[in-house]
Amino acid sequence: MSFLHPLVLLGLAAAVLPALLHLLERRRPPQATFPAVRYLSQAERQSARRLKLRHLLLLLLRTAVITLVVLAAARPLVSAPGGRAHAPTALVVILDNSPSSGVVVDGRPLFERLRAVARSSLGSAGPADRLWLLLADGVVRRGERAALLAAVESATVSPWRLDVRDAVERAMRVVAVEPLAAREVHVVSDLQRTALGAGRVTAAPSVRVLALAPLVGPLPNRGVGMVEVSGGAASVPLLGTPGTGPGAVTVRLAGRTIGRALAAPGVTVSVPLPVLGPGWWVGDAVLDPDELRADDRRLFVWHISPPRRVHAGPEVGPFIQAALAVLRDARRVAQGPDVGIAERPGPGTSVVLPPADPALVGETNRALAARGVRWHFAGPGTPGRLVAPGLDLLTGVAVARRERIAGGEGRGSGMSGNGGVLATVNGEPWLVRDSGVVLCGSRLDTAWTALPATTGFVPFVDLLVNELAPGTARARVAEGIPHVEFERRGADTVGATVYGPDPRESDLTAAPVDLVARVLGAQVLDEAHFAAARFVGTRRTDASGVLLVLALLVAAAELAVATLGT
Amino acid sequence: MLTRPDLLDPAEVARLGGIEIVAQGVVEGFLAGFHRSPFRGFSVEFTEHRAYQPGDELRYLDWRMLARSDRLYVKQFEEETNLRAMILLDASRSMAWRGSADGLTKRAYADRLAAALALILLRQRDATGLLTFDDAVRRVIPARVKAGQWARIVRGLLETPDGVGTAAEPALRHVTSLLPRRGLVVLISDLLFDRKLALTALRYLRHRGHQVIVFHVMDRAELELTGPAEVQFRDPESEVSVVVRPRELARAYGVTVQREIAAWRSACRRHGIAYHTVRTDMPFGLALRLLA
Repeated sequence: MSFLHPLVLLGLAAAVLPALLHLLERRRPPQATFPAVRYLSQAERQSARRLKLRHLLLLLLRTAVITLVVLAAARPLVSAPGGRAHAPTALVVILDNSPSSGVVVDGRPLFERLRAVARSSLGSAGPADRLWLLLADGVVRRGERAALLAAVESATVSPWRLDVRDAVERAMRVVAVEPLAAREVHVVSDLQRTALGAGRVTAAPSVRVLALAPLVGPLPNRGVGMVEVSGGAASVPLLGTPGTGPGAVTVRLAGRTIGRALAAPGVTVSVPLPVLGPGWWVGDAVLDPDELRADDRRLFVWHISPPRRVHAGPEVGPFIQAALAVLRDARRVAQGPDVGIAERPGPGTSVVLPPADPALVGETNRALAARGVRWHFAGPGTPGRLVAPGLDLLTGVAVARRERIAGGEGRGSGMSGNGGVLATVNGEPWLVRDSGVVLCGSRLDTAWTALPATTGFVPFVDLLVNELAPGTARARVAEGIPHVEFERRGADTVGATVYGPDPRESDLTAAPVDLVARVLGAQVLDEAHFAAARFVGTRRTDASGVLLVLALLVAAAELAVATLGT
Repeated sequence: MLTRPDLLDPAEVARLGGIEIVAQGVVEGFLAGFHRSPFRGFSVEFTEHRAYQPGDELRYLDWRMLARSDRLYVKQFEEETNLRAMILLDASRSMAWRGSADGLTKRAYADRLAAALALILLRQRDATGLLTFDDAVRRVIPARVKAGQWARIVRGLLETPDGVGTAAEPALRHVTSLLPRRGLVVLISDLLFDRKLALTALRYLRHRGHQVIVFHVMDRAELELTGPAEVQFRDPESEVSVVVRPRELARAYGVTVQREIAAWRSACRRHGIAYHTVRTDMPFGLALRLLA
C-alpha cells in the first residue's frame, strides 16, 4: 500500500487524542457533595464491568474514527487489479510518428489511432509518476502529464524514421535510473519490420516494455526511392510493401513531365533525361497517390558541369586520346589546361597514370609528394577485378597489370570523400583521389586493363575529367522534410542536399509479434490488452472512499454506544 | 386550593417564615381540607352528623340515615387524647443537603414536616415528643400534651445542629424507654444508614405494640442522578468519594435507588410498618395526607 499524500499520515498522532483527553479529563474532575454515595458505589460496582467495556469500546471507536479519517485524507492506494491508480512509475511513451504512421486506413490516418493510445497511456498516469515522451525526432521529452499530453496532441506525422529498437533502448536507459517503484516503456508504433533495426534490446529486468501490436495487417504501398542521375538518365527505384502491384511513376523536371514508367516495388526504372545545359537541376519522381502519401514523391538533384578543358600528353596512350576526341566531338570536354592527364602530376587538377617505364615511378612518386599527395605507387600488384561501389562503370572490369597504390592512411576510405579510394582490386586501392590528383593503378591501356575495351570507357573518361578529378560535389541525400538545400561558397553553388523520407518507411510490412517480443523484450498486446496491462502489477485503487464510509460507520457505532449507554 | 400552604411548593412555603408559622399554616390548611382528623384508628369516638359535602369520603356516609331519610349525612368523630407519639428526626449531616440551590434541604423539610405533624397530634390532645439523632441521640423531648409542648418541640428542632454520621438503631432503642405504653413512632430520615440494624430496632418497636411510620425523605437529585460529564461525589458523612460519569451511571443508579426503596418498603410491610417516601419538593399537605 502506498499513499498519495503521505505527509498527512503525521495526523495519525491525533489518534492518541481520545486516550489523552480521557486521561486529562480524569485527572481533575469537579467535586460535589452527594449523600447517596453508597447507592452510587453499589450502582458502579454492579455496572463496573459493563462500564469498563463501554469505555474501552468508546476509546477504540473514537481512535478508529480518527485513524480512518487521517488514513482517508492520505489517499491510500491499495493493490487492486482493476484499480485506477498505481504505484509511482517512471514511464516513457514512444509514439511512432514516422512517415509510415501517416498511412490512411479506413479513411483515417493510422497516426490518429496511435496518438489515441499514447494519449491514453499518458492520461492514465498519476501525479506521482515521472513521464517522458519520445517521438520520431529522437528527443526524449521530460514533462508533466498535461505538457506531454499537449505535445502528443500537437504531434504530426514527421519526416523522420524511428528506429524502434534504438528508441526502446534509450527509453530503458532513461527509466532505469529512476528511483521509483515501477518502470515502464510503452511502444506505440505501427511496428514496421524495417523499424526494428538490427540486434536486440538489452533487457532490463526492472523495466516492463509494452508494445502495441500492429493495428492493421500488411498494407500495399508503393514509394519512390533515392533517384540517381548518371549517364543522362535518372534511375528511379520503386520501393514498397512486397507484393504490391505495379504503379505509374512520372519523372518531372521543373514541373514538366519528361518521362513515365510502370513498375512494381523492387524495380528500378531508368528515365532518359533531356540534354541540359551546365548547372544544378532539380527534378522529382512522382507516383500515383496511394494510402501513404509521404513516399509518393521524391526530389532529386544533379549537376551538369561545363565542359572541362583537358590536355593529355602522348604518353597516356591511344585509348585516352581517342576517348577525349569523342568527348570533344560531343562537347563534353575541350582542349585546355583545366585537367591534365599524364604520368606525373601537373600544377592543376591531374589524372596520374603509372609510368610506362618502371624506372620513372620514383620520379612520379616524388612529384606526387611535392604536390602534397599522400598516395604513391608502390610496385606491381596482382591482377584482379575492379570493385567500385559508386562507379558501376568500373565494377567487374578485369585488371591484368597494375601498380599498387599505397599511402593515404588517415585520409579515410569513403567513396565520396576527397582523397578517398574510388575503386579497388583485390582489396587494394586502384583508383584514389587526393588534393586534386587522381591516381589510377593501371595505365588505361588494354595491356593493363580491359577497361578501354568496354562500352563504359568513354563515360568513365568523361566522369574522370569532369567530376572525379575536379572533385565536383555530387548531391547528397538526407532524411527530412522533402526539399533541396544548396551549399554555397561565395557566389558558387558547390553542393546540394536532397531531403526526403527514409526509403525504409515505404515497406509497410508489419513485424511478426514474436519478432517484436524477441527484439524489444516486450509484451506485444492488442489495444484492449495494452490498456489493461498498463501499470499492471502496481495497479492501485484509492481506498479513501471506503475508509471514509468505514469512518462514518464507526462514528455511528460510537454515537450509538455513547447514546445507548446513557 | 392553590392558596393553601399545605399544598404549595415546600420551598415557597418555607420562605413565608419560621418553622412555627409554616407548620401552623400547613396544619390549618391541611385540617381545613380534611374537615376531620386524619388519624383514625387511634381511639376515636363518634360525635355528630353533618350534611354531606362533595369531596367527603363515602366510607363515612351514614347509610342508615340515607335509608331512613333519603338524605346524605356523614359521621364525625372525636379523637381520644391518650395517644402518645414520638417523632424521631434524623439530624445527620446527610440530611443537611439539597440538590438545588432553590430547594429545601432534607433537614429543613423534615423539620417542618415534624413540626406540622406534632402540631396536628397536639391539637388532638395526643402526647407528642421529639427525639433527634445523628450518630447518637442528640435531643429528647418527652411526649407531653401540656401547653407549650409544641413550642418545646419546635425549639428542640431548631436547637439540634446538623450532626455528623447516622446511627438510627440507638435512637430507636432509646424510644422504647420513652414510650412505656403502646404509642405512635414516626421516623423521619433519609435512611442512609444500615438497613438491617434499623429494621431490627423498628421490628422491636412493633413487637412492643407501637404503631411505626417511616418517612423516607429524599431529594429529587438523589432519585435522578445528574451532573457534569465526570464528577467526584463525596459522602458528607463518611467522606468517601467516588468518581463517576453521571450520564452513563444514571440508569444503574436509578435502578439501585428504586431497589433500595423497594427493599425498605418490602421489609416495612413485612413487619407492619408504614413506609412512605417523600421528596423535598412534595407539598407538606401531600406528605401529611400519606398518614391519613
